[in-house]
Amino acid sequence: MLGFFLDRKETPRLGTLRQLFLFATLSRPELRVVDGMLHERRYLKGEVIFDEGEEGQTVYVVIAGRVLICRQGEPETGKITEIESGVVFGELALLDNAPRAAQARAAEDCVLASLARGDFESLLDTHAVIASKIALQLARQLGRQLRDRSAPGERKPL
Amino acid sequence: MKSGNAANSGPSRYLSSGPLVWVATIACTTLLLTLLKQALWFVVPFLLAIILYYALFPAVRRLTLAGVERETAAAIVAGIFFVAAVLAMVPTLPWLAAQTVTGEEALSRYLGGGQGLLDRTLTMLESQFAFLKRVEFHAEMAKKLASFGGSYAQDHLTDAVLSAAVSLPALLLAPFLAFFFLRDGRRFLKFCCDAVPNAYYERTLYMVDRVDATARAYFQGLLKLTGLDTVCLAVGLLIIGVPNAFALGLMAAVLAWVPFVGSVIGCAIVVLVAATDFPADPWVVYAAVALFLLVRLLDDFVFMPLTVGRSLHMHPLPTVVMIFVGGAVAGIPGLILVLPLAGVVMVIAGTIGGIVNNPRLRARNSFAKTLHARRITADLHS
Repeated sequence: MLGFFLDRKETPRLGTLRQLFLFATLSRPELRVVDGMLHERRYLKGEVIFDEGEEGQTVYVVIAGRVLICRQGEPETGKITEIESGVVFGELALLDNAPRAAQARAAEDCVLASLARGDFESLLDTHAVIASKIALQLARQLGRQLRDRSAPGERKPL
Repeated sequence: MKSGNAANSGPSRYLSSGPLVWVATIACTTLLLTLLKQALWFVVPFLLAIILYYALFPAVRRLTLAGVERETAAAIVAGIFFVAAVLAMVPTLPWLAAQTVTGEEALSRYLGGGQGLLDRTLTMLESQFAFLKRVEFHAEMAKKLASFGGSYAQDHLTDAVLSAAVSLPALLLAPFLAFFFLRDGRRFLKFCCDAVPNAYYERTLYMVDRVDATARAYFQGLLKLTGLDTVCLAVGLLIIGVPNAFALGLMAAVLAWVPFVGSVIGCAIVVLVAATDFPADPWVVYAAVALFLLVRLLDDFVFMPLTVGRSLHMHPLPTVVMIFVGGAVAGIPGLILVLPLAGVVMVIAGTIGGIVNNPRLRARNSFAKTLHARRITADLHS
């Protein structure tokens, strides 16, 4: 009977989210639950997204544009890496409230999706499958970063 | 160039605390209660709607995960609740009608029972203490009570019953409001967060999360506390032998939502029932009073710390001050609302205090404004 109420449409918004690494393994209903929790933010080129040392509350995914990760206040000389569309940053905020390891600035005008730690924690309580899928993707990204750590120019987890 | 950002680090910096924040919390809560007093007819359905929202929200989330759209899920859950509420009301309506017809008779019977208990107690006291008999304590008390009862009923009871009857239809707003909270609550929060400048965004998210967690913990805790109180009182009254133990326990537990006064009124009602149904056995009354005292102690030291107490994180001193302020400003609804309201206001005031005390965040906001200004005036300079 529930099938009558099911929404079978794949909206462009859900299609965009599905292409993001963090949510690539989620089914459509799961994606819709997560979409309800995501906030979309727009930043102008040069605008600070977060500072080094700030307590992280959210993880960000770049939907459009590029983000510069650099040492605090040194966007020119202290560049650590640049993050392209589809990639996650600030991921350690989901795991604990440790200070951010570097500063993030918009390298160009960009659109970001953010998922708050509080929402992720509520997912753990209510939708453990979704939370575990996101956590697994996060672990994969962290593992990849650790493997590449010795390579010059590769970024550390934030 | 390198700007130290120590001010941002550490969870304690997120919520500012200090005398100013406390003054702001008390002042804002008092102001809100004063405003709420002007719309009291709306306060009770609003409060019930919030409780319904937190009770029904898990079901909506389950349906959303099963693939149902949020709007449809909210409609299904609210619809099922409404139908269940109507079905539950149907068998109780004839009983309620009968109670309304015999209400006056029952009220005077129970009041008579209470007066009988008082008479017996005063007679016993006079027989024990000679000086009370000399000053005609029993007769004086009976005269004063009769005069107080008559004038009080004339002055207040009719008005109270009439205003309750007038505000009863407003209760129908509760499921209606709860439906919209369920359907659009998250969208409304996103809408509010979208309006916040980027520099303050993470702080605002933290604040929204804390406000939601505080309200959720308080109201869900309140429901759990009501359940625990109902079970304890019903079992206790059943053992004592008081009739309608469950209904009385539930009524007393709901009345306990009003701090201090509610428990006393609940106890008084049960004492009246016991004194009327067992006029020859005062020990039933004493046992009922002892039961209420025991449940009160359990509430204060065991149940409340496990349920509601964990939600507000307020020091006992401002808590008591706020309860008195709430009662003085907005009466009984003020007493019920003051604690959750103060908890929410405290989080908001703490967050705003944290932003005001953080020059780095204000500088970032100012820089973002400059970037926007440059962008929109770029073609004007060329």
